[in-house]
Amino acid sequence: MSRSAKKGPYYDERLLAKVEKAQKTGNREPIKTWSRDCTILPDFVQQTFMIHNGRIFIKLYVTEDMVGHKLGEFAPTRVFKGHSGGKKAAAK
Amino acid sequence: MPRILGVDLPNDKATHISLRYLYGIGPKTSLELCEKARIDPLRKARELNDEEIARIAVLLDREYTVEGPLRRAIAQNIARLRDIGSYRGSRHRRGLPVRGQRTKTNARTRKGPRKTVAGKKGVKEMR
Repeated sequence: MSRSAKKGPYYDERLLAKVEKAQKTGNREPIKTWSRDCTILPDFVQQTFMIHNGRIFIKLYVTEDMVGHKLGEFAPTRVFKGHSGGKKAAAK
Repeated sequence: MPRILGVDLPNDKATHISLRYLYGIGPKTSLELCEKARIDPLRKARELNDEEIARIAVLLDREYTVEGPLRRAIAQNIARLRDIGSYRGSRHRRGLPVRGQRTKTNARTRKGPRKTVAGKKGVKEMR
């Protein structure tokens, strides 16, 4: 079930504060974050994030199209390299 | 046979059934259309006169997205997911289920017919 519209989108308040601060100071430094469940707000556009995927931080430059998605959607947590013994896997 | 929006040729079924031959018209919208165009949904499509068909066509044109434009809109939505590099986009690219379903078994609608892998456990015993 999707989230009630009454509540508005979920976001990490501390992350939003960081974004606002970065925009005020004109700081282009990527923001490191673990908040994969945070919705990408319109304020985040043109900001660079480093999203944790459980192991490393994935760099993401936010564009307008990404608004409404979650940060985690852009930092895959699994790497699929093909099945063992598969022909294609052996060739690579 | 009546002809709406170029190619579609519904047959001699009831109007509300034959309207569903249009891409993007289901049970609900088809009944809605009949009501708005003031056509008895149970009359056979064959019995519709040109004026009634025109009424439906105008309604479709004005208030609904069907056929080509609908297909295009859907394709664009998927293309957007691909372009922004989201997880859902990558699932579309790989032809796997997009909404978190299991893929250990099932998922045949997305994956297509089974591709048996030689040498995999269980293949020899099956013969």
